[in-house]
Amino acid sequence: MLESALFGLFALIAIGSALAMIFHRNPVHCALFLVTVLLSLSGIFVMLNAQFIAALQVIVYAGAIMVLFLFVVMLLNVKGETPLLSRGTAKSFGFLFALIVLVELMWVVLSPGTEEAPTPPQLPPGFGSPGEIGRILYTTWLFPFEVTSILLLIAVVGAVVLARRKFA
Amino acid sequence: MDLALLIEAAAKILIILGFVLLGVPLIVWLERKVIGHMQDRIGPERVGPFGLLQTIADGIKLFFKEDLIPSQVDKAVFFIAPGIAVVTAFVAMTVVPFGDSVTVFGRTVPLHVTDINIAILFVLGATSMGVYSIVLGGWASNSKYPLLGGLRSSAQMISYEIAQGISIVPIVMMTGSLSLVEIVKHQQTTWFVVPQFFAFLIYILCGIAETNRAPFDLPEAETELVAGFHTEYSSMKFALYFLAEYANMMVVSAVAITLFFGGWHGPVLPPVVWFLIKMFLFLFFYIWLRATFPRLRYDQLMGFGWKVLLPASLLNLAVTAVVLTLGMS
Repeated sequence: MLESALFGLFALIAIGSALAMIFHRNPVHCALFLVTVLLSLSGIFVMLNAQFIAALQVIVYAGAIMVLFLFVVMLLNVKGETPLLSRGTAKSFGFLFALIVLVELMWVVLSPGTEEAPTPPQLPPGFGSPGEIGRILYTTWLFPFEVTSILLLIAVVGAVVLARRKFA
Repeated sequence: MDLALLIEAAAKILIILGFVLLGVPLIVWLERKVIGHMQDRIGPERVGPFGLLQTIADGIKLFFKEDLIPSQVDKAVFFIAPGIAVVTAFVAMTVVPFGDSVTVFGRTVPLHVTDINIAILFVLGATSMGVYSIVLGGWASNSKYPLLGGLRSSAQMISYEIAQGISIVPIVMMTGSLSLVEIVKHQQTTWFVVPQFFAFLIYILCGIAETNRAPFDLPEAETELVAGFHTEYSSMKFALYFLAEYANMMVVSAVAITLFFGGWHGPVLPPVVWFLIKMFLFLFFYIWLRATFPRLRYDQLMGFGWKVLLPASLLNLAVTAVVLTLGMS
């Protein structure tokens, strides 16, 4: 009971802020609504027994990345939206993507599924705890984990190289 | 849910609220008094015994002042920003264990609002959200000095957050837990400040930078930025920022005590008293620093964070990992 009420609350906030983020013109307001979306998602993560992911969501996305977004918006002093595409092009792209989503949704809805809802799997002990996530990352998912770290390293080196270049 | 449990939780939340709300005026008074004596002045002494009621009087004055709202501000964000500052500071306090459990009306009540298994990350998350109050306050004011102050502080706080987070990791490695209650329990015999002195040094330096206190109080460097991000704020909104700054000092001190100074552990005296004594010493240290050091220049501050503190914390992490692995095998 309490759980579904909380889920409804977080979901409503998330969807409402997501819509507000899209429809608002002011870039700082948009960024703030995105932060609200991220925070309510972190609330949903907590309810899914994934406290560690929830904390990372807040620290990394809401606490670091979005602050950098705001930082850039403030630094460049962006006043309003500057359209990247002309109105007509934007509209046709919109229709194209809407069509793709529609086809995808129809596919899912119309495809024959199993009659009974799948039973929720029994959570293993320590599910979602930092220790368990660390163990899985360094055993089962070691290869993707290392590949990601190399990717991040390349990004860091790239950022330093770009920042050091003198634009004469 | 059990009714008694609900009452217990509510009572503890109220106690934390009261503790911070009463603690802040006391710290402000202490600061003015201590700095006064360090500078060979007397400090406040007219209102109440030893001037103790001076900050209460100042608070009441702020309440009744006119709340000026400049015409060009972004109203909604201008209103929300000080609120974020206060809320994040209070939220971080909830995971700090103030003492061992006590027995009230036949119930064993642990002296912390909640013991979650990611308590440290919770504190880091709350402080990282605190950055918004300053960035948004600076932006919403729609004026040059606040904007510059907000930009500076966001850069400063993000930079120091990284080193602060990494300086805590060795403690987590030694205890194998992210829960503050567990970490305190591990310090029964030796406080972590002994094996992890460098981690403590990095943590407290970053903590001072995070709370924007001297000598890292660049966001509000009055000689160049008027009052930084809160230039346009007046009356209670200004008071909220002020409250949040001191509440954040309490959070940084409380977490430092919990991680490095044995939390509530101590001989003879009851645990809560030990916690309060340690907290007092930390806050005194904060004030002492402010009276001693001149403010850093902005490039020195960023250079210090990225080129000294971050590599030092990484090195400390690596050394701890090697020592722990050798010790295990």
